[in-house]
Amino acid sequence: MSEMWVNMGPQHPMTHGLWNLRVRIDGEMIVEVDPEMGYLHRGIEKISEDRHYNEVITLMDRTCYVAGMAWEHLYVMGAEKALGIVPPERAEWIRMLSEEFQRLASHIMWYAAFVQDLGLMSPFLYGMRDRDLILDLFQSYTGGRLTYEYMRVGGVRNDLPEGFPAQARQVLDWLEPRLVEYDRLCMGSEIFRRRCDGLGVLKANDCVRLGVTGPMLRSAGSKRDIRKDRPYSRYSQVEFDVATADSSDVTGRYLVRMEEMRQSIRILRQALDWLEHHPGPVLADRLPRWLGAPYAPMGREGYLLKRNYPKGVGLSAIEEPHGEACAYVVNEGGEHPYRVKFRSPVFANLSACSHYLVGYHIADIPPIMGSVDVCVGEVDR
Amino acid sequence: MALTTLWDVAYFLASGLLYVVSRIIPPLSGVLSNGDLVWGLSALVFGAILLAASMINTIMLIWFERKMLGRFMDRRGAMHVGYAGLLQNFADGLKLFRKNTFKPRDADGLGFYAGPTAYMVTSLLMFGVLPVSTGWSDGSLPLSMLLALVIFSFAPLFIFISAWSSNNKYSLIGGMRSAAQMIAYEVPILLAVVAVVVISGSFDLNTIVSEQRNYWYWGPLFLAMIVFATGMLAEMERIPFDLPEAEAELVEGWNTEYGGMLFAYFMLADYVRALAGSILVVLLFLGGWTLPAYFPAALTSLPLAGIVVLMVKTYLVFGVFVWIRAALPRVRTDQLLRIGWMRMIPLSLASIVFAVFFVLVKCIPVLGCVPSMGG
Repeated sequence: MSEMWVNMGPQHPMTHGLWNLRVRIDGEMIVEVDPEMGYLHRGIEKISEDRHYNEVITLMDRTCYVAGMAWEHLYVMGAEKALGIVPPERAEWIRMLSEEFQRLASHIMWYAAFVQDLGLMSPFLYGMRDRDLILDLFQSYTGGRLTYEYMRVGGVRNDLPEGFPAQARQVLDWLEPRLVEYDRLCMGSEIFRRRCDGLGVLKANDCVRLGVTGPMLRSAGSKRDIRKDRPYSRYSQVEFDVATADSSDVTGRYLVRMEEMRQSIRILRQALDWLEHHPGPVLADRLPRWLGAPYAPMGREGYLLKRNYPKGVGLSAIEEPHGEACAYVVNEGGEHPYRVKFRSPVFANLSACSHYLVGYHIADIPPIMGSVDVCVGEVDR
Repeated sequence: MALTTLWDVAYFLASGLLYVVSRIIPPLSGVLSNGDLVWGLSALVFGAILLAASMINTIMLIWFERKMLGRFMDRRGAMHVGYAGLLQNFADGLKLFRKNTFKPRDADGLGFYAGPTAYMVTSLLMFGVLPVSTGWSDGSLPLSMLLALVIFSFAPLFIFISAWSSNNKYSLIGGMRSAAQMIAYEVPILLAVVAVVVISGSFDLNTIVSEQRNYWYWGPLFLAMIVFATGMLAEMERIPFDLPEAEAELVEGWNTEYGGMLFAYFMLADYVRALAGSILVVLLFLGGWTLPAYFPAALTSLPLAGIVVLMVKTYLVFGVFVWIRAALPRVRTDQLLRIGWMRMIPLSLASIVFAVFFVLVKCIPVLGCVPSMGG
């Protein structure tokens, strides 16, 4: 069989979304790859320029549909810096709690999709079952299961409901032994190890050169984690370890994500303890009324108020479940952001795919791309 | 006339039918009492009963797998059509039947349609050969096991034909994989079967089962059974070895381009092969329709007892295959071929050596003696 190009995508079970991986194969070996992205481009950055600051939050949920909270958090942090608003203490803790729950949910979702690519059918459903519990928690305090629209510039929309910490702890108590079970289902399986060990190797210096971040970078031995290096929210006040691995392959990424889930549970327990004993406001007072655009009339009042706020730019960076995400919000005065720019970690991780796919088998594409944890929504934005 | 075998039943039905017809239309009675006609009609009835039984069993096998997989996955499986979803597969089949079957423009028509048809037909042919109980069919073929394995190994050819003729890259890769895999696993399967032949001294499945009345072959031939069952997993293309149709990378592999009833043919034939493969494991290693001596004889002498025993064992064997499917990820092509050529073949050769040894010593402690003493 001579070399040929195969389109893996845009409608392909491997892609987990809508993108196209063009692969040139020689028999079963990959000779060349060419990722094509943009099938899911919705112009989120451009639309944001035409919306009130708080209305952009709706778009953030749609940016990455499995990590909505993280993207909301990223955006509101950037917008607050641009507008010079400081959220109250309790809101910061709730945001951190939400982001860690989101990380847990996103990693479980990744686990389910990843093992499904390898042909493991049962853990897929175990993962989806356990993720549902976290979505139930989200529902209990945001009302939404996937698109929450919960965070606000200047805080969060509402406080946690009564009895939430106990409920959340119950979920965490259920999840902790489940993580052990996941690990035994995968790392205990000889076939799983053979399918994952030594695949998709991308060394740390290559990661840095290509802008690859997140679990992919940490699996190569680097300890870079924005939560530790440039703590935002209240990450400096909780104890956790940065998960790393040395193998820089698929197994390494798996191990990093598994350890991150354990660390997330650790952070969540501390956050729940704090939240239980520190009641307070969750939304900053003295916010300009046009921030809550759906409720305030546009026009004169907004124009009057905008003079009270200085122009500014806000740059925020968070450790999103997939990697390092950045938001750059430019405030030129007025109720709309002048420009919003996001850095999607998955876009960088995906663009580097020719560096970690070439030379492996065609059957290795699903585990390798699965280990990247592709979320096309945030790739294309 | 004792209705002890299926052939007797078919003959009885056919002659009864002809008798009724000749009573209704008296002038035809001379023609209808022709012996060849009765024989031919009973052959048809025989085939119809066999077809119906194997199809119903196949569909029940799918139901069994869906329910069992459901339990493994912490869900309930099919629940809504019929009691506990028993009719779900009939509904699915009906849905596929109503669908339009279309052929891609550049596909080769003959291969595209003949491939799945031949795959289905050869898979069903297995049941004409496999004995399911004593006196299932009249008389026995001296080489029935060989014939069964030959029919079983037709499949890669038809898979490859349909994959190639559907003019799709995924299908082509899947077809290549399928051919490589099935040919690689043909060899250890046949070698494992040689061990059975050595110890039973016969190529006839009836004899092989009756030789197991003292002890089943899975004891002395444990290695051979493992090799055979693993090979069968590969032949059935079930999950650790389902890479010809690996949905994550090849989008169902060789049947990507098939829809509607042609797809149903493939799906059904896969399960027909799964059923036949499980029956083969039971016949060769698990004593077929026999039960150990400590079961009361009255239990085994009941009518249809043999079939029930065999089917229970078959479903248990298939249950193990489902269990494997629920628990294991898929291997890679090169790993699969390496397992086949470098692990399975030495193991099956070793099992032949074991078999020869057991025949030479004639008696095995605990298990008993070889009745035929090596044929």
